[in-house]
Amino acid sequence: MKNNVKIQRAIANITQAQLAEKIGVSRQTINAIEAGKYVPSTVLALKISKLFDKPVNEIFELESTD
Amino acid sequence: MKTNYLFPNSFKKSSGILFLISILGIILFPIINKDDNLIQLQANVFALFYDEGLKTKTLGWTNDDIFPELLGIMTIVSGLIFAFSKEKIEDEMISKIRTESLVWATYLSYAVLLFCIIFIYGFTFFNILTYNIFTILFVFILRFRWMLYKNNQTYSHEE
Repeated sequence: MKNNVKIQRAIANITQAQLAEKIGVSRQTINAIEAGKYVPSTVLALKISKLFDKPVNEIFELESTD
Repeated sequence: MKTNYLFPNSFKKSSGILFLISILGIILFPIINKDDNLIQLQANVFALFYDEGLKTKTLGWTNDDIFPELLGIMTIVSGLIFAFSKEKIEDEMISKIRTESLVWATYLSYAVLLFCIIFIYGFTFFNILTYNIFTILFVFILRFRWMLYKNNQTYSHEE
């Protein structure tokens, strides 16, 4: 799964740590999500989408391998 | 992430120290006690099964050196609490690492056991079995800590 959390974060102008705190996870988790090493749960994806005020589909995208 | 099967984070430090002491105890105890039984803690204990001479008896009181028992209990209890107390921020990725580490620990622990069954015979086998009890906890803790450490490393390189 691809995601553009890093871009969304840049648009919203917040750091990984700030985003992590807002959605109640560790900074490492945000880092792993942005690096594509960790696929967040639906709950976490919805929290991210709510925070950036964008539909989940605009942030997360399926890849051909999924 | 709500989990109800983990201990609070505040238990982590003290149980970690206790676990380290017990591990040292387990390693050093056979060396110190090799010939002259320096450490002895004789006590009357209730037993479901115990040996008297060559006979095995059931349900009764027996006198035994309980130091190894205490060491074993301390290792298991402190190890369990240390392994399964929450991280500072216990989120879903930590849970995933925890689960993966548990699977790895189970695999490795039984791999060691299989190896011992195939290649070790006689009394040595039972001696090694007593240590094998702790492998699953030990491997879990090592693997889990290592993955968390690696996670931290990649984080500090970015942003």
